[in-house]
Amino acid sequence: MKKFNVLVVDDEQEFRELTVKRLNKRGLEAKGAESGAEALKKLEHSKHNDVALLDVKMPGMDGIETLRQIRAQHPLVEVVLLTGHASVDSGVEGMKLGAFGYLLKPIELEPHVEKLAEAYEKKRLHEEKIEQAQTKKFMSMPT
Amino acid sequence: MERKKRYYSTITRRLLIIFFCLSVLPIACFGLITKGSVEGINIAKLKELATSTTAHRAEVISIFLEEKINLLNMLVTLYPEEYLFHPKNLEDLFLAIAPKGDIVDLQVIDAEGVQHGYIGPYRSMIKGKRYDNAPWFKETLISGVHVSDVFTGYRNVPHFVVAVTNPLKTFVLRATINSSIFNSLLHSAQLGAHGDAFIINRDGDFQTPSLQGTKTLLPVERQLISFDAQEGSLITNTYVYTTRWIDNDRWLLVVKANIADSLGHYFRVRNQIIMLMVVISILAMIGATTASVAISRNLERADKEHAALSLPFSQVEKMATVGRLAAGIAHEINNPLQMITNQAGWIAELLPEEDPKQLKNMEEYTKAVEQIKYHVRRAGTITHRLLGFSRKIGEQKENVKINDLIEEAISFVEQEAHFQSILITRRFDDNLPLTMTDGPQLQQVFLNMLNNSMDAIEQNGEIIISTRSVDDKKLIIEFSDNGPGITDENIQRIFDPFFTTKDVGKGTGLGLYISYNIIEKLGGSITAGNRAGDGAVFTIALPVAKPGPPPRIHA
Repeated sequence: MKKFNVLVVDDEQEFRELTVKRLNKRGLEAKGAESGAEALKKLEHSKHNDVALLDVKMPGMDGIETLRQIRAQHPLVEVVLLTGHASVDSGVEGMKLGAFGYLLKPIELEPHVEKLAEAYEKKRLHEEKIEQAQTKKFMSMPT
Repeated sequence: MERKKRYYSTITRRLLIIFFCLSVLPIACFGLITKGSVEGINIAKLKELATSTTAHRAEVISIFLEEKINLLNMLVTLYPEEYLFHPKNLEDLFLAIAPKGDIVDLQVIDAEGVQHGYIGPYRSMIKGKRYDNAPWFKETLISGVHVSDVFTGYRNVPHFVVAVTNPLKTFVLRATINSSIFNSLLHSAQLGAHGDAFIINRDGDFQTPSLQGTKTLLPVERQLISFDAQEGSLITNTYVYTTRWIDNDRWLLVVKANIADSLGHYFRVRNQIIMLMVVISILAMIGATTASVAISRNLERADKEHAALSLPFSQVEKMATVGRLAAGIAHEINNPLQMITNQAGWIAELLPEEDPKQLKNMEEYTKAVEQIKYHVRRAGTITHRLLGFSRKIGEQKENVKINDLIEEAISFVEQEAHFQSILITRRFDDNLPLTMTDGPQLQQVFLNMLNNSMDAIEQNGEIIISTRSVDDKKLIIEFSDNGPGITDENIQRIFDPFFTTKDVGKGTGLGLYISYNIIEKLGGSITAGNRAGDGAVFTIALPVAKPGPPPRIHA
């Protein structure tokens, strides 16, 4: 599996830390953030960001709002939502706002990682396209 | 049921009493008050009339007596002894005063009590009599005048005697007065057909015959004699008595008026009023009974309707509350479930890194972790079903042939039904209208119904599925089976989440809960009941939504 960055955003410390630990063990570069605000800060301060895993229900800024902010400030970062509340509306809203996926708790790590990998794949393709476009642009530039 | 009947009959009875009191009591009170006042006024008037009659008659009688006494006094004063002792002279005088007919005879007695002259019809009977020892003679000599009680005396005819003398004379002039004069005077004093008027003396002896033929006084009448006042009156239940003393308080004139006589007209009116009251009361009772029974019946019907209405309402409310509660709980459980699966996954990941020689029970740990994961998945399935569904119900609507949907659902269970010897009978209305609805969700409901029926029957039985439309506006789908049916207490809870009568592990208790929610979201209703004989029946009502183009038939 390709190595990519994951930011786990969940207010529940145990879940966050264990998930980070397990993702890291699988060779990913995972970090944790305990709130939406911290997540935005961390995305701001790190050079390389691939995928964010967002808990929908968090105190303060909730997952949907965080998603909105991430999409606005870091459009390249893909977001996967995770929630214990299978509210269809929040799922639909999340997808409309541009989340890559929507996961229901409880979920085992394997499908979890698969979803994250898919999200990363999308991001990578996206980046590739941008790169190609830029190269094309560069190549077509008059010398 | 029996208790309810008693309850309503109690209401009927109470209403009857209230109506009766409201309608009859005022009339009765009015009647009683009117009766009291009318009778009171009548008695007062009667007493007034009797008093004036008594006074008038007493006066007439007194004047009559006085007139006789004065006449005799005049004769005594005017004529000397020698003149009156002469029979011829006495006869002249008698003829002069007798024409009125009220003086029966005239008698002259000297101071020794010896008769010196007599003119009258009883000459032979009193010839040679001496009166010197007679009390009346002595009294006359002492007080100058005597009026006797009425007596038959020697003459065998009721009469009374007036005797008069003068201190200057030595003889007594005595006259017998016809008492029938009194009788005719009293006759005209009679008040009413049952009225009476008579004179009694101080001993209670009748001085004039009672007009009603009474011979003795009633005990209550005897007390009239004890009245010392000039005038007296007494009112009993049936009579009004008024009295007046005459002749120096020796005679008592009694006028006795029958109250009933004077109230004759009133009694007729009263009887008419009573008749009217009875009629009104009967009418009121009939009205009250009809009204009470009608009210009580209406009440019973309204109660029944209300009960019938409120049951589904409370069911809807309950289901909404329970739904929210279940969703809340499911959500709270999902988070710990996530932790469990995470931790178990972590162990599973780490285990292979352990030295198998150091870890004796490696296999057991692996198995245990797998079990944990399995059960978390199971729990997760339940919470996910509770929380809602993979997608919004009713969002994907299509034109649906209900009969085909059911047929498809049957095809899923046909094999199993065959093994259980369960016959599935279709009673489909072939002209069922197409409807726009969520086919797959509806099919899940139908499958649920079939599974439940088959579980209830177990072995050998029949499931009847019928469809029909009501005015092309509503579809009715019925699943009935000949299983054991649903008990009354279970019927209230049959749609609750986690309610199951199946063995532990066989049913989650979510099938009907989910079916209920699906049907509700599709705008229909689902009810559970029992067939008349045995077995349960589930009735689904769905609104018919006019199919939109193009009609794609689901199959």
